[in-house]
Amino acid sequence: LLAFSLCPGAGQDVGRSCILVSIAGKNVMLDCGMHMGYNDDRRFPDFSYITQNGRLTDFLDCVIISHFHLDHCGALPYFSEMVGYDGPIYMTHPTKAICPILLEDYRKITVDKKGETNFFTSQMIKDCMKKVVAVHLHQTVQVDEELEIKAYYAGHVLGAAMFQIKVGCESVVYTGDYNMTPDRHLGAAWIDKCRPDLLISESTYATTIRDSKRCRERDFLKKVHETVERGGKVLIPVFALGRAQELCILLETFWERMNLKAPIYFSTGLTEKANHYYKLFITWTNQKIRKTFVQRNMFEFKHIKAFDRAFADNPGPMVVFATPGMLHAGQSLQIFRKWAGNEKNMVIMPGYCVQGTVGHKILSGQRKLEMEGRQILEVKMQVEYMSFSAHADAKGIMQLIRQAEPRNVLLVHGEAKKMEFLKQKIEQEFHVSCYMPANGETTTIFTNPSIPVDISLGLLKREAAIGPVPDAKKPKLMHGTLLMKDNSFRLVSPEQALKELGLAEHQLRFTCRVHIQDPRKEHETVLRVYNHLKGVLKDYSVQHLPDGSITVESILIQATAHSEDQGTKVLLVSWTYQDEELGSYLTSLLKKGLPQSTS
Amino acid sequence: MTRECAVLLPGVCAALADPRQPGLDDTCLEKLLDWFRSLTWFDPTVELVQDNPCLTELISSVLALPEPSPSILSFTLQLAGILAASENRFQHLQQEKLLGRLFGRDGPRGRAVWEDASVRSGWVKGVHSMVHHQPALHFLCSGGGMDVIFALQGDPSLFVASAASQLLVHMLTFSVESETSKPLSTKDCEWPVCAQMIKKHMEDSLQSGSASHVEQSLKLLTSLFGSCYAAWTEVLWSDIAKQIESFLMEETVQAQHMLANLLLNVARSPVFCDTEGSFWALVTSALEHLTPVQACPLAVGLLKLCKCPQDVRIQALTVLLQPMDCILRAASQPLEYAGLLDESVSDPVTVESLLSSKTSCAGLLCQTLAHLEKLLSLKHLRVDLPYMSLLRSLMTILQFCNGLLSPASPLGSTISRNLINCFRVQKSALDVLAALSEKEGCDTLMGSLFDVLLAYLESPNTSPTVLKKAFQATSKWLVRLQELSCSNTQCQQTEKILEDVFVVLQKRLCSPCWEVRDSSLEFLTAMIKCLRDQGGFRQCLLSSEVPRLTENLLEDPESYVRASAVTAVGHLAFLPSFAPESPVAGNQCNKENIVAKLQEILSTDSEGFPRRAVISIFTKWLREGCTGQLEDTEQFVSRVIQTVEHDLDWEVRLGGLELVEVFCSQTICQLGLSECPYAPVSSAVPSPTPQNQLLRVFCRAKLFGFLFRSLCDCDKPVGQRACDILIGLRGNFYPMSTLENPQEIEDSPAGRGIAWLQRTLSQGSLAQNFHTDGGNGVDFQDPESMMVALGAIDLLELHDELNKSSDHVEESPQSLLQDILATMGTIEENEVDCY
Repeated sequence: LLAFSLCPGAGQDVGRSCILVSIAGKNVMLDCGMHMGYNDDRRFPDFSYITQNGRLTDFLDCVIISHFHLDHCGALPYFSEMVGYDGPIYMTHPTKAICPILLEDYRKITVDKKGETNFFTSQMIKDCMKKVVAVHLHQTVQVDEELEIKAYYAGHVLGAAMFQIKVGCESVVYTGDYNMTPDRHLGAAWIDKCRPDLLISESTYATTIRDSKRCRERDFLKKVHETVERGGKVLIPVFALGRAQELCILLETFWERMNLKAPIYFSTGLTEKANHYYKLFITWTNQKIRKTFVQRNMFEFKHIKAFDRAFADNPGPMVVFATPGMLHAGQSLQIFRKWAGNEKNMVIMPGYCVQGTVGHKILSGQRKLEMEGRQILEVKMQVEYMSFSAHADAKGIMQLIRQAEPRNVLLVHGEAKKMEFLKQKIEQEFHVSCYMPANGETTTIFTNPSIPVDISLGLLKREAAIGPVPDAKKPKLMHGTLLMKDNSFRLVSPEQALKELGLAEHQLRFTCRVHIQDPRKEHETVLRVYNHLKGVLKDYSVQHLPDGSITVESILIQATAHSEDQGTKVLLVSWTYQDEELGSYLTSLLKKGLPQSTS
Repeated sequence: MTRECAVLLPGVCAALADPRQPGLDDTCLEKLLDWFRSLTWFDPTVELVQDNPCLTELISSVLALPEPSPSILSFTLQLAGILAASENRFQHLQQEKLLGRLFGRDGPRGRAVWEDASVRSGWVKGVHSMVHHQPALHFLCSGGGMDVIFALQGDPSLFVASAASQLLVHMLTFSVESETSKPLSTKDCEWPVCAQMIKKHMEDSLQSGSASHVEQSLKLLTSLFGSCYAAWTEVLWSDIAKQIESFLMEETVQAQHMLANLLLNVARSPVFCDTEGSFWALVTSALEHLTPVQACPLAVGLLKLCKCPQDVRIQALTVLLQPMDCILRAASQPLEYAGLLDESVSDPVTVESLLSSKTSCAGLLCQTLAHLEKLLSLKHLRVDLPYMSLLRSLMTILQFCNGLLSPASPLGSTISRNLINCFRVQKSALDVLAALSEKEGCDTLMGSLFDVLLAYLESPNTSPTVLKKAFQATSKWLVRLQELSCSNTQCQQTEKILEDVFVVLQKRLCSPCWEVRDSSLEFLTAMIKCLRDQGGFRQCLLSSEVPRLTENLLEDPESYVRASAVTAVGHLAFLPSFAPESPVAGNQCNKENIVAKLQEILSTDSEGFPRRAVISIFTKWLREGCTGQLEDTEQFVSRVIQTVEHDLDWEVRLGGLELVEVFCSQTICQLGLSECPYAPVSSAVPSPTPQNQLLRVFCRAKLFGFLFRSLCDCDKPVGQRACDILIGLRGNFYPMSTLENPQEIEDSPAGRGIAWLQRTLSQGSLAQNFHTDGGNGVDFQDPESMMVALGAIDLLELHDELNKSSDHVEESPQSLLQDILATMGTIEENEVDCY
């Protein structure tokens, strides 16, 4: 079993997730992420490392996408439509529905910003999505005759899943990003005790025990409320789907409870679509949402309305969700420019921003920004960062390992130092090997596959009849012929094997010559040997045959005089494989010579 | 380096070397290296390091750290390499005694931090950047560096191993080319020291018997012959050819799969194209000895070569076609059909056994089919492919796959069992089938071919991805069929096939699976595009239920399908009998109905794809001149842009601008102002009437409001397009000379850019020359003020401003340095998150 991560560059950056796993001869690619920090080739994984010979489609048996975040699926249209992978792609139903929205959102920003032409198009995103096979939770999907996959609930974002990949009795679980504590709209990750050979777990928060999300939410609401109360405007730059909906629910309920009147706008008209998907995939959300859904759909927002560009100039307080999320182009940047000069206003960045973006600059404390045309934009508005990301923390990772009981653990998507700490903890507590390979490094894990074999009833009965009464709790050794035919293994009796394979039986006999000093005639020597054996081997059937040979069970003994020395007799002992033990014993017995007294 | 950057740099260097600072985002360090690379690329002087002593200080302070962070150390190694790329700066760093501590024996390679792959990677990259002059080569050869590089070829990190291999190729090439003056012979002593070391290492590895060493050397040789075409490579080859040959014969060598790549690269090199005898004999022997799966890529590569002996080519073709031949023979009765290949050249035993095995059958076929597709797509193929037999073989494969053919021969039945329901093979075979439609000589099989294709289109077992490929192949072959059907009997056959296709299409358009509905619509559009002039096709289409079903799909719940339906309906409207006049001006309520429906989608659909599809169909209609008379068109365009203007999707707004552009150029032509669109008027003043008329048309259609407001759009491409259009338009109203000299235009204030325009648009009253519509804004429908506006705004400057990429500031090195400095001061909290 081999696993290796395809993303160049080491470290903690929110980079591209892309892991290659080889299990029992099957090659599976886990996630196909992109890096938003680069504008050149480096934003996508270098797929030429997957295989130097031959086509990707021939090499890979399938691609699995864990969830819709771009660092896990952003390179997929590039991979399938530009690099040329044409094989199956698997993801859950919600991921398949939401993925194209985010890819489209990202494509638009990229093309908008730089007028880039060497980038995937809308048509490519669609063609890519058409190749995707959507899977249900806990549904075993047969990729081919040997390879099967199964999705488990991962929390994190709508539709996020952990995947079990199984070939024969070997299996790997890939967690993707997951969250072990339920939040406002999603449940906690869960997996059954599947005891995989390897668990590949993300370790973003490898050493952190995170404060409760409730705290962060309260903080967020407090800040928004205060700003609105003093007549300021709040800008929340978001990506099209995901975090945005979570925050919408939060504000919607708060507005309802506090009876607030300030308008909340959502800039891209995506509320409708998000609403649709959250309704459609209600089973993927948490229990509370599902329960209240009967009375009131949480995603039918009363207070949140579609934004029009003209609204930005309206006087008075308001809250606006606008895309894109890092303030690097389009509407969010335009609104930011309008509002930045007023200290009453506030911008809340609910996620990570890459270097170079306005979002990154204001978060790192820069307050005088050079805009185009050498204009300087002075940022007087308040700048807040709030992380709402839902990853498992150290406690959560341990909890998942306890649940799944893997034989080995591999940590990815984390910082080396923090991972090292967690690795030691895992090895101490669970006594399993834990790996944390650098990007580009291959980890090899040896498995002891137990191979199931069918046994024929006849053989079973026959073998059971031998020896003591079988005990259900104790393993029992059985003898038979192993037939490997048409991808199945069967243990049958030798006779049946011969019959099935149309083979003639060959008898294998061992022979051995033993020299005895005995001047007597040959038949007399034979008689002496016969008497001797009869005396020693009381439980065995020893016979003296008319042709002058002796048999002990299936063992045959014949005596001839030595051609050169008549005083030496040569005993030819011959036995079958089945009587190997007795044959050896007899030979050693005869080698000691015959007792004098029997003469 | 700008002065601003030079001021910021010392602070950044100090921060980077400070172990107390939290780690930086990897991208920042990478971008910093990019910047240094660009700074040093054209400047070999020592000034950069002399003027910025902070750089050498950074290197020495990182080296002085007892436990440097791997990422900073890796960065430092790469930075030093980039700086040392010129001999002057190399000497400078040598004087500072830094290079030995970085890349020599005293370097990090003995320390614990070497365990980190990023440090090893930084070391290799640093050395690679540095090796551009002889002192660097000598430094490495004498300082034990070569052994490190040799060892790194087997590094556990693939990235490091691959970089080490690339480095050796670079060093070998550079060493030979910079250190020798006369042609080399096989005698080692004539080779420069560094090249000699690499050559010897390579030869030793090849003979070592260790699989991993052999593999490393083969990898190195493969990339060497793939990148270097100098004459000395032939000398190198003559030294190792025997060894390579022995690998082919030995079955124990694991690296056989790499031999194909190596031989192919050597064969491609112009140095070897005239080689007589021995090399090609080796290639032929490789084709014989390698397994079919290994030999196939070699065979295809050889078939693509311009210069390759004919017998080698035939041998390669045999390797490639063998599986296809085997399929044909397996499907036919003994003595009935001879197969695809001459039996005297084929040795089918291995291929037969691969095809009989469940595990290898699909793999071999997929690979063969993919290679065939590649070969068929070549413009100049230097061998004759037996197209007819190939087609027959493909059809057989497809029939095996859907269970329609189960031959009596034992091999045939085994293969058919292996292939049944195999999507991978189905997809590959359909791809080749589509590619084959452009080749001559397959026409007699047309009838049975469509039987096979229709079976796929009809079968409920066909997966959506396979169905899409089946549709693609069908539409290609339908075009072929139409080209052929001139005789009466063929006409009837064509009609029958088309009828069958439309029956299937009807069913598929109602599929519960959106992927299938979408592919069906795409297929329909593709068919209409190619076949709309064929009477038989139109008749078949219009007498089927397809048009009605297509219209229904305008209301599909899936936005992708709605968009495809819009495109299909748009193309249906081109069919003469469907729209005898035009969709816009036609009288039939059906056509009005369609326009109204598309308009409604444009104004109400919650998603971008269908709206984008509508606007591009409208533009297409306009371009193809099927929107009727000028007045109708004017109203139509006016209606559309008023809808589009407020669209939240900038690509829809951009589509609206495209529509405006086409409309303008057509109107200009129709009013006889210009022969070709956008040709500027001469300075001789033309008669004013058509110009005024033009201006009035544009004002009536409310074009100017849309165009001027688009100039200030928050999405850059929209502003750029609007600016381009306005510049084009202005050429029709102002003579060229006045444009080059804006002052000549009355009252033209200089520097009226975006900011000014934004103010004007929002307040309306700033420019006295602009009439306002009751104080709410500029009156964009007043021809006179629009004429003034066109002259007054400095469109060319605006054009430059807009064309600067919006992040030219963000991407600047100064911004990067500022960001690094700012980040170093903030807390770690923001560091890790997902998007």
